[in-house]
Amino acid sequence: MPIEINWQLLMPELVIALTLLIVLVFDLFDSISKTVLGWMTIVGAAIALWVSIQMHQAGFDDTQFYGMFKVDNFSLFFNIIFLVSTILVTLISMSYLDRGDRKQGPYYLLILLATLGMMLMAAGNELIIVFLGLELMSLSLYVLAGYFRENPASSEAGMKYLLLGAFASAFFLYGIALIYGATGTTSVPEIAQAIIAEDKSPLLLAGMFLLVVGFGFKVAIVPFHQWAPDVYEGAPTTIAAFISAGPKAAGFAAFLRIFMEALPNLQGEWSGVLILLAMLTMTVGNVIAIAQTNIKRMLAYSSIAHAGYVLIGLAAAGAAAGNEAARDEGISSAILYLLIYCVMNIGAFGAVILARTEDGESLMISDYAGLGTRKPLLAMFMSVMLLSLAGFPPTAGFVGKFYIFKSAIGSELYLLVIVGAINTAISAFYYLRVVVTMYMREPEEELEFSPYASTLVVGLIIAAVGVLLIGILPSLILTPAQNSVF
Amino acid sequence: MLLSTVIFLPLLGVIAIALLRGLGASAIKGIALVIGILTFVISLGLYTGFNADTATFQYITQESWISDLGISYHIGIDGISLWLVLLTTFLTPICILAAWNSVEKGLSGFMMSLLALETGMLGVFCSLDLFLFFVFWESMLIPMYFLIGIWGGERRIYATVKFVLYTMAGSALMLVGILALYFQNDNSFDLTTLSGTFDHSELLFLAFFIAFAIKVPLFPFHTWLPDAHVEAPTVGSVILAGVLLKMGTYGIIRFCLPLFPDAAEKFTPLIVPLAVIGIIYGALVAMVQPDLKKLVAYSSVSHLGFVVLGLFSKNPAGLQGSVLQMINHGLSTGALFLLVGMIYERRHSRMIVDFGGLSKRMPIFATIFAIATFSSIGLPGLNGFVGEFMILFGSFKEGAFSKVYVVFATAGVILAAVYMLWMFQRVMFGTLDKTNEGLPDLNAREIVVMLPILLFIVWIGVYPKPFLNKMEKSVGLVVTKVQATPAMGQLEKGVPAGTKLALREIQHEKSEKEAEQ
Repeated sequence: MPIEINWQLLMPELVIALTLLIVLVFDLFDSISKTVLGWMTIVGAAIALWVSIQMHQAGFDDTQFYGMFKVDNFSLFFNIIFLVSTILVTLISMSYLDRGDRKQGPYYLLILLATLGMMLMAAGNELIIVFLGLELMSLSLYVLAGYFRENPASSEAGMKYLLLGAFASAFFLYGIALIYGATGTTSVPEIAQAIIAEDKSPLLLAGMFLLVVGFGFKVAIVPFHQWAPDVYEGAPTTIAAFISAGPKAAGFAAFLRIFMEALPNLQGEWSGVLILLAMLTMTVGNVIAIAQTNIKRMLAYSSIAHAGYVLIGLAAAGAAAGNEAARDEGISSAILYLLIYCVMNIGAFGAVILARTEDGESLMISDYAGLGTRKPLLAMFMSVMLLSLAGFPPTAGFVGKFYIFKSAIGSELYLLVIVGAINTAISAFYYLRVVVTMYMREPEEELEFSPYASTLVVGLIIAAVGVLLIGILPSLILTPAQNSVF
Repeated sequence: MLLSTVIFLPLLGVIAIALLRGLGASAIKGIALVIGILTFVISLGLYTGFNADTATFQYITQESWISDLGISYHIGIDGISLWLVLLTTFLTPICILAAWNSVEKGLSGFMMSLLALETGMLGVFCSLDLFLFFVFWESMLIPMYFLIGIWGGERRIYATVKFVLYTMAGSALMLVGILALYFQNDNSFDLTTLSGTFDHSELLFLAFFIAFAIKVPLFPFHTWLPDAHVEAPTVGSVILAGVLLKMGTYGIIRFCLPLFPDAAEKFTPLIVPLAVIGIIYGALVAMVQPDLKKLVAYSSVSHLGFVVLGLFSKNPAGLQGSVLQMINHGLSTGALFLLVGMIYERRHSRMIVDFGGLSKRMPIFATIFAIATFSSIGLPGLNGFVGEFMILFGSFKEGAFSKVYVVFATAGVILAAVYMLWMFQRVMFGTLDKTNEGLPDLNAREIVVMLPILLFIVWIGVYPKPFLNKMEKSVGLVVTKVQATPAMGQLEKGVPAGTKLALREIQHEKSEKEAEQ
C-alpha cells in the first residue's frame, strides 16, 4: 500500500531539509564565500519560520505516516522556537567563525541537521520517532561542541558531551523498551489507551523513570546536569548558546508530549517527582551559579536553573488532576517560557561573543569592569538580557516567570512557587553582579576589544527588541502559546 | 488621562535625555528640571480636581492590557495615594535642582535614572491592578540600584546589592500572594473587585506584609537601610527616605489592612511591639552615630515605626496621622538629607566631630537646619507635631492596643529630641574649627531648593486641614473595612463623624498650646 503523504503538513521540515541539501552542495565550491552559506541557512530557516507561523495561525491537528508524525499547534509552536533559535545562533555565529582558517561549511550543515532533529522530536507521536529526532540532534551537537579541533577545551567538551549524551540516549532507549514491554506499543496514543486497560506494572513505572532520567540528561536537570558547565565552557560560545536553547526546548517538547499524552494516567506517580526535581534544579543551579567567575560557566548554571523554572510548568500541568484549565495553563506556560528563554539566553551568549579581544574572548566576569562607559552598546545588550534572565519587569523574562508561577498556583503548588520565587531573588544576585561589574567597577587593565561585527549586532538587536516587546506587550505571544496546547 | 500623563511624563523625559544627551550637561539638566517641574504642575491639577467628598478612586483609567490573564492597565487615586503622588512629584524637581553641580560622571544616566524612578514610584501609588502594581514595584528597583551603585559612596556596591536583594526577597513572597489572590478574585488582578474574605488570609497577609515591612523598614528588617542611605548620593537618600519607604507603609494601608482585616487583627500584637522596638531602637542607635547621614538614616527607622504604629491603631485618627506623617517624614527627612549633602559638598566630611560653631559662619544654613530639625522632632507649630500627635492619640484610643506600647512610643518622641538637638548643638554651636572658617553659606540655588520644603513644613504644622480633608473619606473607608471584622466586635458607628471628631480634638489641643505660648 502506498503511503499517502500530505506534503503541505511537512512544509517546515521540508524547507529545512532542502536548505540543508543546498548548503551541502554549495559548500563544495571553494569560490563561494562561506558567509553566503550562513545567509542561506538564515534564509532557509526564515522561510520555514514563516511557514510555521502561517500554519500555526491556520491551526492544524493532523498526523502523517500512520500516526507517527503529528502536526499540531504544539509542534508548530516548537518549530517557531527552534527556528528563531537557529536564526539567532546563525547570526551570532557568522562573525565568530570568520577568523582563522576554520571550515565553516559543515558548521551550518550541522546546525540545520540538529534543527531538523529537534523538529522531529516535537512532532514525534511515536517513541521511536522521538528517539530518531533525539539522536539526529545529539549527534550533530556532539560534533559542533568539539568543532574547534585545535582548542583542547573544545575537544574535551565534545568528548564529554558524546559520552554522557550516549549514556542518556541509552537510558532513554531502555525506557522505551520497557514501556514497549509493558504496553506492547510505542505509539503515544496507544500507550495511553493501554495504560487505561492495564494495571500499573512495575515494568511500566521503571520505563517511565528511565525516560525521566534520559530527558533529565538532555535538558540538564539536577542531578543529571554535571555535563552542562564543562560542555558550555569548552564548546564554541555560539554552540553553547545553541545547546542551551533549541535542544533544551526540544527535550521539553518530547517530555511534555510523552508524559502528558502517553502517560497521563501515571500523573500521580510522576508529578511528585517533577516537583522535587524542579525545586532541586532551580536551587542547585542558582546557588552554584553564584560561585562562578567565568561567565560561560555562570550562564551554564543559570540555564540549569531555568530548566527548573520550566519544570514548574510541567509539574503544574501534571498536578492539575483533572482540572483542564490548570493543565492547559501549565503546558502553555512551559512552552511560552521556553520561547522567551531561548531568545534571552542566546542574547546573553551573543553579548559574551561581542566582548571579544584580539586574543580571544573575555570570559572572566572581572574583565567586564568599566564596559558601561567604554562599550555602552555592549553593556546595554548584556544588561537587558541579564535583567530579563533575572526576571525584572518590563522584560520578557518577567512575563515568562509570572505565567509559570501563575500556572503553578492554579494547580495549588504553593510551596513550589515559593521556592521558585525565592530562587528568583537568589538569581538576581549573580546576574546583577555582572551589571555591577560593567557599570560600577573600574577596569584593572585596559583590554582592547575587537570592533563589533554587524551581523552579531543585528542578532542582538533582534533579541533585545524581542525581549522588551514581549515584556511590554505579552499578548503577542501569550495568545499563540495558549492556543498551542494539545 | 491626566493621571497617565503625570505617571509617564518623566519617562518621556528619560527618552528625551537619551536622544538629546549630545547637547551637553546644561541641556540635560534643563530637560530634567523642566520635565520635573512640569510633572509637578500637572499633578497639582490632580489636587484641585480631587473630590474630597467620596472615598472612591478618582481619575480612573482602565484599558485592557493582557486580557488573557485578566490584567488591565487600571490606575486611579484616592485621598491616600493623592498625597503620595504629590509628594513624589514635589520632591523630584527639588532633587534634580539639588544635584545640579554634584554629579561628576554620567550626568545623563543620573537624570535618566531619577526620572525613571519617578515614573516607577508614581506607578506604584496609582496602580489599581495587582499585576501592574508589581511591575512598577519591581521595575523601580533598577534605577535606584544604579543611583546608589554608580553615584554612591565608597561601599556603594555592597549597599546597592543589599538593597535590591532585600527588596526582591520580600517581593518574591508578595508575588505568590498576588497570584493566590488572583484565583480567589474570579481570575482577575483587579484591586477594586477584591472583597470579602479570602482563604488562607493569614498567610496572604504575611506574604504582603513582609514585603512591605522590608520596605518600610520595620525592625528587624531594617539593616539594609543605613547602608543604602549612607552610600547613596544625597538625592538618592532624599528619594529613598522621602518616597521609597512610603511604598511600604502605603502597601500596608492599601493591601494588608483593608483586604485581610482578620489577619491584621490577629497579627497586631506581634507587629505593634516591633514598631515600638523600631521607634526606641532607631532613636537609641541614632543617638550614638558619629556620622550625620547615618544619624538621619536611623531616625527614619524610628519615625517609620510611628507610622506603622498609627496604621495598626486601626482608627481614623491613627490612620490619618500615619498618612500625614508619611508626608511629614518625606519633607523633614528629605530636608535633612539635602542639608547634610550641602555641608558634605563643602567640607567633604559628614562626621559630627569635624564641625562645631557653624551657625556663626553659615547663618542661613543654620536657620534652615534648625527648622528641619524641629520638624523632625515634632515641635508644635511644625508638621511633625501634627502627625505624631494624631498617631499617639489614635493609639491611645480604646480598642487599639495596650497602652504600655504607647507609653514607650511616646518615650521615642523624647529620645528624638535628645539625639536631634544634641547633634544640632555639636554641629552648630561651640567653637568654630579653623578648617571650617572658609565654608561659604548657602547660595541662591540651594536656598531655592530648601524653601518649598520649608513652606510645607510650616503650612502642615499651622494649618493641616486641607491635607486631612482630602484624605478623610478614603481613610474612613479603610477604617470601615478593617473594623468590619467580626473578630473585632467593636465597630464604630459613623466613621466619618469620628474622623471629624479626631480632627476637632486635635485642633482644640493645638489652640490650647498656642494660647499657652
